[in-house]
Amino acid sequence: MITLQLLVNGIALGAAYALVALGFVLVLNATSAVNFAQGDLVMAGGLLAVALAPVIPLPGIALLPVVLVLMAALGLVLALAAYLPLRGRPPVSVFISTIAVGIILQNGASVLFGPEPRAAPPLLSGGTIQLGGLVVAEQSLAIVVVAALLIAGQQWLFGRTQLGRRLRATAQDPEMARACGVPVTAMILVTFALGTAYAGAAGLLLANRYFVTPTAGGDLILKAYIAVTIGGWGSVPGAVVGALLIALFEVGVSSVLSYPVALGLLYATLLAILVARPQGLFGEAARRRA
Amino acid sequence: MGALLAYALLYASPYGLRVLTVAGVYALAAIGFQIVFGLGGALSLAHGAFFGLGAYATGILGSQWGWSFVATFPVSLLVPLLLALVVGLPVLRLESHYFALATLGIAQVVLLLAVNSPGLTGGANGLPGVPGIVLFGWAVPRGLPLASVVWAFVALGGALAWRLASGRWGRALTLVRDDPLAAGTLGLDVGGLRLAAFALSAVYAGAAGALAVHTQRVVSPEVLEFPVMVSVLTIAVVGGRGRVAGAILGAVLLIHLPEWFRFLERSYLIVYGAALLVTMVLMPHGLTGLLDRLFPQRPRPLPRVAAPSVVARPSGPVLRVEGLGKAFGGVRAVDGVSLTLEAGSITGLIGPNGSGKTTVINLISGLERLDQGRILLSGRNLTGQRPDRIARAGVARTFQAVSLPEGATVLEAVATARLERDRTVAEAEAHALWALECLGAADLAARPCADLPAALRRRVELARALARQPAVLLLDEPAAGLTDAEKADLAGHLRAIAALGTALLVVEHDMGFLLPLAGHVLCLDQGRTLYDGPPDGVRNDPAVVAAYLGEGAP
Amino acid sequence: MSGPLLRIEGLAAGYGGAMAVDRLTLSVAAGEAVALLGANGAGKSTLLKAVLGLIPVRYGRLWLDGEEITGLAPERRVRRGLGYVPEGRRVFPGMSVRDNLEVASPLGRVDRACDLERIFALFPALADKAAERAWRLSGGQQQMLAVGRALMGRPRLLLLDEPSLGLSPKLAGEVFAAVRAIAAEGTTVLVAEQSAARALAATGRAVLMRLGTIVHDGPVDALPEHALREAFLGG
Repeated sequence: MITLQLLVNGIALGAAYALVALGFVLVLNATSAVNFAQGDLVMAGGLLAVALAPVIPLPGIALLPVVLVLMAALGLVLALAAYLPLRGRPPVSVFISTIAVGIILQNGASVLFGPEPRAAPPLLSGGTIQLGGLVVAEQSLAIVVVAALLIAGQQWLFGRTQLGRRLRATAQDPEMARACGVPVTAMILVTFALGTAYAGAAGLLLANRYFVTPTAGGDLILKAYIAVTIGGWGSVPGAVVGALLIALFEVGVSSVLSYPVALGLLYATLLAILVARPQGLFGEAARRRA
Repeated sequence: MGALLAYALLYASPYGLRVLTVAGVYALAAIGFQIVFGLGGALSLAHGAFFGLGAYATGILGSQWGWSFVATFPVSLLVPLLLALVVGLPVLRLESHYFALATLGIAQVVLLLAVNSPGLTGGANGLPGVPGIVLFGWAVPRGLPLASVVWAFVALGGALAWRLASGRWGRALTLVRDDPLAAGTLGLDVGGLRLAAFALSAVYAGAAGALAVHTQRVVSPEVLEFPVMVSVLTIAVVGGRGRVAGAILGAVLLIHLPEWFRFLERSYLIVYGAALLVTMVLMPHGLTGLLDRLFPQRPRPLPRVAAPSVVARPSGPVLRVEGLGKAFGGVRAVDGVSLTLEAGSITGLIGPNGSGKTTVINLISGLERLDQGRILLSGRNLTGQRPDRIARAGVARTFQAVSLPEGATVLEAVATARLERDRTVAEAEAHALWALECLGAADLAARPCADLPAALRRRVELARALARQPAVLLLDEPAAGLTDAEKADLAGHLRAIAALGTALLVVEHDMGFLLPLAGHVLCLDQGRTLYDGPPDGVRNDPAVVAAYLGEGAP
Repeated sequence: MSGPLLRIEGLAAGYGGAMAVDRLTLSVAAGEAVALLGANGAGKSTLLKAVLGLIPVRYGRLWLDGEEITGLAPERRVRRGLGYVPEGRRVFPGMSVRDNLEVASPLGRVDRACDLERIFALFPALADKAAERAWRLSGGQQQMLAVGRALMGRPRLLLLDEPSLGLSPKLAGEVFAAVRAIAAEGTTVLVAEQSAARALAATGRAVLMRLGTIVHDGPVDALPEHALREAFLGG
C-alpha cells in the first residue's frame, strides 16, 4: 500500500518535473542555449499563482491560463534582454546572462514575498479521493491530468501544426530554416514564450503540495538538467521520461532515508553520468571547421 | 591601492573598515576566479563551494579543536585543493555548460553535507566562536589591523596571480581558452593546464573563505550558499574578465554598493544580477576593459631577435603513413591512404570536394582518431597519440580557417608556439620574431591580429607553425583567398621552409600554385588514392580528370 | 517580361578577410538553366549563399525581378521567389519527409496538400517514404527531398549547390534528370557543380568561375574545351 502511495506521489511529482524539463529542452533545442533561469522561472510561476490567488478567488485551475499568459510574456522579455543581444557571442555569454536573470528573479521574489514558504491554492480542492483502497490526494490527480494535457498539447502543436513544424525546423537547423522561408527570430521568441509558460505551469502545480520559496530554483534547474541528460540531450520525450524517473527516485529514497540524502544521491548520479561519458553526451566534441 | 590605504587610514570608521575587510576577502576570491574563468575560460560554479570549504576547515578546526591561524590556514588551502584535483580530472573535459552545471552540482552536494551534518558542522546554525587571527603571538584586533592583514593577502595573491597571468603559464592558458584545438597542435597540454587553473583557483577560494571566517568569527552554511558565488561571478565579470585589477576594482565597488545606497540593502543581489546582465550585453570587457579603451597602454618594446638553436634535420624519409582509414558514421572518409614525406621536400595533396584531404591532415596531426593505419615519424610510432604529443614530436599544421587570438598582437600569437619549450615569455617572443623575419613579416609584430587582412593572417599562422621548427609541416589550403602576387610570395616562403629541412604536405585546390611547387603529388577521390607521382603527370591522368570534371567530360 | 530575373552587380562577398567572390556581375533571364562551374574555392558556393543572403555582402547589389533584395533577410528573399538546395542537402533530420516538405510552404493547408502531391509525383521514391524521418533516408533520397523542399516554396529561381556531391553516378543522373524537368517547366535554375559533365547536360548556359571571378560565360554547345580544363586544373 505504501509503495503504491509512493508511486502515486512520485508520478504526480514527475508530471510537474516533466513540465520543467520540457520547457528547458524546448529552449535548448531551438537556441542551443542552456537556460539557467528555468528553475527560477518555475519558482516565479508558483509565486505568481500565490499572488494572484487573493485577486481571483477561484480554484487554482482558473489561475492556470492567467499564469501561462503572463509567464509567456516574461519569456519574451527574457529572450529580448538576455538571449537575442548575445547571439553572436560565445555560448558561455548566454549562460551567464541567464544566470543573471535567475539572480534577478530569485532576489526579486525574496524582496517581494519574503523567505517563508508559500502555498498556492489547490487546483480543484484540497480533498482526497478513495481509489480502490488508496487514499489519493485530489491535487495529485489534478497535477497529473493537467501536466498530461499540457504535454499532449505541446506534442500536438509540434507534430501537427505548421507553427510546430517551423519551430522544429528552427531547432534543427536555423540557417536552413531561414532558407526555407521560416522567420527564425520570431520562432525563437515563440519558443522562449512556450518554455517559460511551461515553467510557470509547473510552478503553479508544485506550489500547492510542495510550497514554494524564492530559492527553490537552484535545485530545479539541476533536476531539469539531470532529466534531460538521462533522457538523451535534446530529446523531448526523453526529458519527460527522465523527469519521471527523477521524481520516483526522489520520492522513493526520501521515504526510506531522507530528502537531503535523496538529493545528494541524485547529484552524485549526475556527476557519475558526466564522468562516465567525458566527451559530453552529444558524442563527438564540437569540431572546428578545420 | 594607495587610494584604499589613504581611505583606510584617514577616513574610515570601524564599520567602514569592516566593509573594506569584506571587500578584501571577496577580492581574493575573485582573483582566484579570474584564473579559472577569466584566463582559463571555465565557468566554475563550484568556486563558492571551495570558498565555503576553506571557511569550514578554519571554522571547525578553530572553534572545535582550538587550532591557531598558522595551522588552520594551510588546511583551508589544502582541502579545496584536494577536492578540486579529485573532481577536476573528469569534469574539466566537459564542454562549457556541462562543466558549469557539473560544478553547480558539486556545490549543491557540499552545501547539503554541511547543512545535514550537525555533528561536524553545526548543521544549519553553524559554529560560533571561531578565534581571530593570531600571528606569531599577536592577536590581530578588528578594524585597521585586520583589514591590513586581509589586504596584505590580497596584495600577495594578486601579485602572484599577475605574475602567472603575464608569464608563460597565463599565455598558454588563454590560448587553451580561446582555441583549444590550435593549443593542442602547438604542443600545449590542454587538460593539464585546465586542471592546474582549476586547482589554483580552489586554493585562492579556500584562502578567502578562511579569512572571511576570521572576520565574522562564526561559520555557517551561508558561506556555501549561492549569493557568494553570485557575488564573485559578478565582481569578476563587471571588473573585467581575466584581470587581477578587475577583481580588486570590482570587489571594492560591488561590496561597497549596498553601503553607499542604503535603500538597496535587501535587494543588493538584484542589482548584482542587473549589473551582470547589463555588463554582459553592453560592456563585455568590464570596467577594466573600459578603462583600457579610455587610457590605452603604450605598446611594449619589441624583444631582440633570437634564432632558436638549430635542429639537425637528417635527410631521407621523415613521415611514413601506412593504410590510413577513417569512417564517419558509415561513410569512409579516408580509405587506405599511404604516403611518405622526405625531409626538405614539398608534397601536394589534391582532390575534389569531399575527397578526404582535410581528414588525412586531421588524422596525422591527431585531431581525429584513426580507425586503421599507422603513423611513423622518423621511426617513432605516433599512431593514436594525443595532438599535443604529436606536436611535440615535431609535427606542425595550419588550418583551413585561420584562427588567431583576437585580443593579441601578432608577436604574442606567434609566441604561443614556443610556450611549451622556451623558459620565459621573453625567449618565446624572441624566437617568434625570428620566425616572422623568416617570412618577411617582422614589421607586423606589434599589430593586433584582429586588424590583419586575409593574406597576412595566413602568413602569421605560417610563422606560428614555423616557430616550432617542425620536422613535418602540414598545410591545409594555405593559398585560399590570396591574390596571384601573394601566392607567388607564399610559394617562395614554402620553398625556403623546405630548404631548412622540413617536410611539407600541402593541400590545395589551385593547381597553378601547387603543381610548380610540389616535387610529388597525391590525388584523392572519395577517400582513396587515385594518383601518386610527379606533378607533370597530374593534368593528363585520366582518373584525375574524370574525378574533377565528372564522367564523360570533354 | 522585361529585364532579367536575377541581376547581380559588383558583388564581393566572403568570410573573414578573404573575398571568395570578387566584384562579380551576372544576369540570369527568366526561364534560363545556368550551370555554374569551377574548382573548389572558385567561389560558386559563396555566390549562391550571397544571393540567398546567408553570408554578408561586402560590396555590390542584387535584384530579383527588378526589385532590390540587397540586405534583405534570407527568409524574406525566399518569400519573394528564391529557392535553395544547399551543399550537403541539409534536410531537417528529425522531421519526417512530409514535414520537411510542408514546413517550406507558405500556403494554407489545402494548397499545401496540392503542392505536396505534385512533389510526390515528381519524386515517387519520396512518396513511399513520406512518414520516414529524414535522417534515415539514403543520400540520393535526401537530395530529392532537399530539391522537393525548395520547390514547395514555389520558387521562380532555384539555386542548387553541388547536388551530385557524394552521390553515385546513377543517383546523380536521377537528380539532374529532375533538374532538367524543373527547368523545362519554366523555373529558372542556377546550379553550381564540380562535376561539369552532368551540369552541362542539363543546362543551356555555362558560367565558369575561377578564384572569385567569371572567366567564361556562354551557351553550353559553344564552350571551348580548353576553357574547362583551365578553370579546373590551371595551367
